[in-house]
Parts: sequence; C-alpha cells; structure tokens
Amino acid sequence: MVSSKPSNFKIIKVGKNFNFFLVLLCLILVFLGKLDLVAIRNAKSFLSDFLAPVTYAFNKPVKEIAGVLEDVKSAGSLRDENIRLKSELRRITVSNSKFASQELELLELRELLKVLPKNKNNIVTGRAITAPGGIFANTVLINAGKDYGIKIGQPAISSLGLVGYVVNVGLKTSRVLLIIDINSMIPIYLTESHWPAVTHGQNGELLKIKFLSSDARPIEGEAVETSGHGGRLPPGINVGKLYKSFSGTYFIKPTVDFHRLTYISIIINKKKLTISDSFQGFAPLQKPNQSLVLKGLDSSGTRKTESLENW
Amino acid sequence: MLFLTIFEKSLSFLPIFKTATPSLISVIIYIFIKKSSMKPSYLILFLVGFLNDIIFGSNLGNTSIFLLLIKFFSKSLAFDNINKNDKQDWISFTMIFLSSFCIVFFMNILLNLSMPDLSPVFYYVGTTLIIFPIVNLSFDFISFITRILKS
Repeated sequence: MVSSKPSNFKIIKVGKNFNFFLVLLCLILVFLGKLDLVAIRNAKSFLSDFLAPVTYAFNKPVKEIAGVLEDVKSAGSLRDENIRLKSELRRITVSNSKFASQELELLELRELLKVLPKNKNNIVTGRAITAPGGIFANTVLINAGKDYGIKIGQPAISSLGLVGYVVNVGLKTSRVLLIIDINSMIPIYLTESHWPAVTHGQNGELLKIKFLSSDARPIEGEAVETSGHGGRLPPGINVGKLYKSFSGTYFIKPTVDFHRLTYISIIINKKKLTISDSFQGFAPLQKPNQSLVLKGLDSSGTRKTESLENW
Repeated sequence: MLFLTIFEKSLSFLPIFKTATPSLISVIIYIFIKKSSMKPSYLILFLVGFLNDIIFGSNLGNTSIFLLLIKFFSKSLAFDNINKNDKQDWISFTMIFLSSFCIVFFMNILLNLSMPDLSPVFYYVGTTLIIFPIVNLSFDFISFITRILKS
C-alpha cells in the first residue's frame, strides 16, 4: 500500500512552483504593459470591449444611488442655490453684452490683420462606462470607439474643460487617460502672466507644474489653458486655475470634476477653415433703408411685430 | 470576485469615496482564507487581478500581484503567532494589507519614476482598515445565522 504523504508533498511543491510562476508572470506583464506593445494594446482593447456591458451594468446601481444622494443633498439647499443662481445670471447677462461687442471688434481686427482662423473641431460624445477612481491609475472607459473615428492621442473634453486624451481604442470603446493621472503630461499656458509650462498629474486632485521658467511670475487664480505646443492638443482648452500652496509651490486645480463625468467628448478631427469662413460679417452700422414694415408675416414666413418709427 | 472588484471601483461615484475607494477584495480574500472553506486559488486571484487591470486601465499585473501577496501573507506563518484568537484579526489584517500594499506601491513608484499624491493613498488604506471590522462582523453574523438555521 502506498502512503498518501509523498503525493501530498509533491502537490505542495508543484503548487509552490506554480505560485512562483504566477508572480513571475505578473512581473513580466507589468513590464510588458509599460513597453506599450501593439499586441498587448489590441488585446486590452478587445477585452475592454467585451467586458464593457458587465462594467456598465455594475456601475449603474451605484451611479443611481449617488444621484439620489446628490438630489437629497441639493434639495436642502434649494433656496440658497436659487438666490445664488439668480445673482449669477444677472452678472452673466451684463458681461455677455459686453463680450458680444468685444467679440465683433475682435473678429473685425482679425480680418484686418489677416490672422489665420482657428480650426473648428468635430467632436464625438460618448458615455463614461467606468468610474475614474484608483490610486494607481486614473482612466475612464467610454462607449465610443474606432466606429466613430476615434484614434489614440485625440483630446477628450467635457463642458468644463480638458478631461484627458485617448490612450487605447477598441471597436466599441475607448480609454481616456485623465489629466490627473501620474502618466499624464499636458503643455499649458498661463493666460494672465503669459508663460508656457507643462502640467503633470499626481493621481490626486491637483496637478503639478513643470518646466515653468524661473523668470515667470504666476498670478494666483489665473486661468490655465492648453498651449497647443507639440501639436497634439488644440490650444485654448480650459484646464483649470492656478493655486499657491503654503510652501509657495504653484498647483493647478482642474475645472472638471472627474468623479461626476457622465459624458465625454472626443475631438476627432479639425476642419480647415479659410479666413472668409470665420468672418461673421461685421460691418460698420449703416443708416437703415426706410421701408414699410407691416405687422404680420413677411415673405420668409417670420412674424414681424415692429414697424419703423420714421415711416 | 471580479464583480466585487467592479463594484469596489464603482463606489467612487459616491461622494464619500471620491478620494479613493476601499479595497473590499482584499478584506474578502482575507476573511475567506481565514474563516471559510472556500479558499480562492492563486490562479483565480491572478485572473481576477488581470481582468481588473484591463477594465480599469492600470498597469497589467499590478492588481494580480497585490491579490497574490494578500493570499500569500494570509497563509504565511510569519503572522500566525499574532492571529491566535479572532479578536486579533484586525491587527493581522492590518499587517498583511500594509505589507502587500507597500510592495505594490513601491513597485509603482519605480515603474512611474514619480511619487504620487499621498492623500488618496492614506484615504485608501484608512477606509480599508475601517471597513475590515464591519465586513468581518457581518461575515460572523451571517455564518452564525447559517449555523442556527442548519441546526
């Protein structure tokens, strides 16, 4: 009769070797992942596409609960919020009329100086499938991929500003590396002090500033935008605001709340414009031709409610 | 287990876990190894970690190493003298979790050649250690009820 002890011992030995093999495999995977090989990238995007519905299904209830909590919280401060919004609306209405006239003046000056027009961007908007949370990585998966013309390196934005850029694309999904991620570096421009620099994510809420000239005198609270240096990201996308820490170091606080991202837009290509396309038709005011305008519908079908006084 | 990791990450939608989400998976693995007959195998932990890295876009193999280390340390003899009675579970878990996390954390620093912001890291460790007794007590309660129902 054969004792069971030696066979158990063998299993333990094989098991230990297998564990060692798995740890080794993990280490190899870590370094292969860092090398950013095309095969690994493709495998990752395929699996992301495949697992996206499961992830979405699991995130949905938590997202709903978070939404309900947010609603309950905001219901308590509804009156204060209403007063604040009313005053903000009044302030924005005043500044809007000021900006409208300045914009027209700017367009005319651009036309006079023959400044090359800014490119208009085409965007594709997708829904964020995963949460951005993570202490080692800050990425978001969106439900739009190669099908919609998304490519690696294209910038991702929200209504508030820059979110990040695409690092991996599958058929149906794309992965966006957030600007707060430790691997993310974005060329920026300080809009008031007029200095270029580079932001570096820290996997936290704030962004570090790198390569800022020693001659630079940044202004606390000034807006930070993408500089467009390197040609990867378009210039003028809002990144955040500049803050000074107690130690005197400057940080950028992003304007985007990465934990409340629902929709993310990807700038997929740039439509080339000619100078005449960009000009909105500003011309000095002329004396209007005196003509009879009757109340009612005009020939184009729009309703006229006013008539000229000097008729 | 994979669903648990997805759920764990989705917790970051809640305002309380905005900074970082606790590592529920490490708590569950520890409890299963110490108290349950259903012990997750190394291969399963490796696959769960691998899929988790793909879903959430972290470095491949990162989570797998963390989970394998949790299991390895949980089974390790080095902490057995601490874990003689159930009340000392928390200390045992703290040591196991911190050792595994520190290894993965320093590995990430070496890979990125950059030091991340420490506030989410502390929040992550803190919330995980706070959540452990809650999950542990819940597990004890469930097993107690199950035993009563069986008897």
